[in-house]
Amino acid sequence: MSDIEDMLSVPDPKVDTDRALARLRARVKAERITPVTRMAAPPRRAAVSGWLKGLSAAATVALVATLLTVSGLAETILTIFEPKQIVAVPITSSDLSGASSFDAYGALTWTEQPKPYDVPDVRTAARESGMTVLVPGNLPAGVGAPRYGVMPKTTATFTFSAEKARQAAAAQKRTPPPMPANMDGSKLFITGGPAVVAFYDDGTTPTGASGASPFTGMPKLIVAQGKPPVVQSDGVTVDQLQSYLLQQPGISPQLAAQIRAIKDPSSTLPVPIPVDMATSKKVTVQGVEGICVGDSTGLGSAVIWQKDGIVYGVAGTLTEQQVLAVANSLH
Amino acid sequence: MTRGGPSVGGKAGWATIGRRRHIWRFGGALKEEMEVAERLRLGTVPGPGMPPAFEELFRREYPRVVAIAHRVVADVAEAEDVAQDVFVSFYRKHPADAHYAAPWLCAAAAHTALNVLRSRERRGKRDAVEALRRDAQAPDPAQAAETAETRSEVRAVLARLPERSAALLALRYSGLSYEEIAAALGLRQSSIGTLLRRAEDAFRKEVTR
Repeated sequence: MSDIEDMLSVPDPKVDTDRALARLRARVKAERITPVTRMAAPPRRAAVSGWLKGLSAAATVALVATLLTVSGLAETILTIFEPKQIVAVPITSSDLSGASSFDAYGALTWTEQPKPYDVPDVRTAARESGMTVLVPGNLPAGVGAPRYGVMPKTTATFTFSAEKARQAAAAQKRTPPPMPANMDGSKLFITGGPAVVAFYDDGTTPTGASGASPFTGMPKLIVAQGKPPVVQSDGVTVDQLQSYLLQQPGISPQLAAQIRAIKDPSSTLPVPIPVDMATSKKVTVQGVEGICVGDSTGLGSAVIWQKDGIVYGVAGTLTEQQVLAVANSLH
Repeated sequence: MTRGGPSVGGKAGWATIGRRRHIWRFGGALKEEMEVAERLRLGTVPGPGMPPAFEELFRREYPRVVAIAHRVVADVAEAEDVAQDVFVSFYRKHPADAHYAAPWLCAAAAHTALNVLRSRERRGKRDAVEALRRDAQAPDPAQAAETAETRSEVRAVLARLPERSAALLALRYSGLSYEEIAAALGLRQSSIGTLLRRAEDAFRKEVTR
């Protein structure tokens, strides 16, 4: 028995599983807790707060919507989306009410799965991602040492499926708009990453009370950087995409109008801002224009910008000034 | 006679059969209800809305989830509370047959228990020792107090470690394999050995501080 094993030893707990199950059942009934009825997000994503989950769902919709406005026709594989700048797109929950996720229109096949993994230090992160990894020059008090994670380059192919769109709409008891014949089976090629994320913990969690979900607390500070996503098409015309996707139920006319208003959609990354939960404003960070996002509770802030072909993000349970200071100290 | 008798007898017969049927049904239902109540008491009947797959998962993983939490908080009652919270979280968000169910539950047990531990530490040393005293079984009260104090000091060290290191130790010393730890904490199996050694070093350093 090792010294630590000895120190951590406790007598084997005698548990009554039947009684515990009865207790759980009583609680589920009393609190009217319902089980999940569909496949939930995988655990990694489940660890992300609901706020971020909403953001990523919104990003998907915004990305799809952005594709609508891209002009030009691709005979062969053509890059239709390669962001060089970012823009905030305010959205409300009603903008997305009932909007189908991307997979309602077809099938997404990963050719290179997004498999993030931990690396021991910044040098390994730089080597494995092939990027120069920027580190903060100064950190707010109470922020500890970072842990690094690398998300390798990820590629996926999205194949439109008229049959799938019909089934998805039928499941929601809606009548889908007809998918143009040549869109059925056509492909989008999506490339994302690589990306490097540094998590800074302060050793405590914001929700310390017993019974709190283990994942409600975000790390104190997150510094992320990555190659922005690039989308290529093998021949879907933008007019078709536009007329098809704009007819989908769930995307509000306001949201569609905002997306259409983006001047250079093929090179602009829309960052959806849930207006009922967060506010955003333009800021200058690292000498370029970026977006500063604050959640309406004042508990967290984030700043996002793009420079030299890399998208950067700094977020944390910190004030806007603190997050901006960290962002500007990256070197 | 021939008309009335059989007719009356027939009526009586049907009435009797009807009553008997009713009695039989009632008796059967009562018996069934009592059996259900008994099985419910024992927890062997799926509750309304609780999928059998979830119950199966609960039965399979509950002892391990409690063991991990107990390793961290060193108090059975608190460990069982943690396990309840962990399973409720899972029940809300994930299907019972998810392939990641077991590693998810293990990780959640460690993290939730560590949260409980830290909040206990924040309340102060006396509270922490008091919390452990009921779990430190010893015939002699003085010995129980000493065991509680030692366990409390060790837990205070665990609470001060970085989250990942503490979770690694909790899972490893609850008997999980490197493979299981890697799956639970989203790490590469090849790096578990190194990370664990670092966590152990950090733990020893904190103990002797």
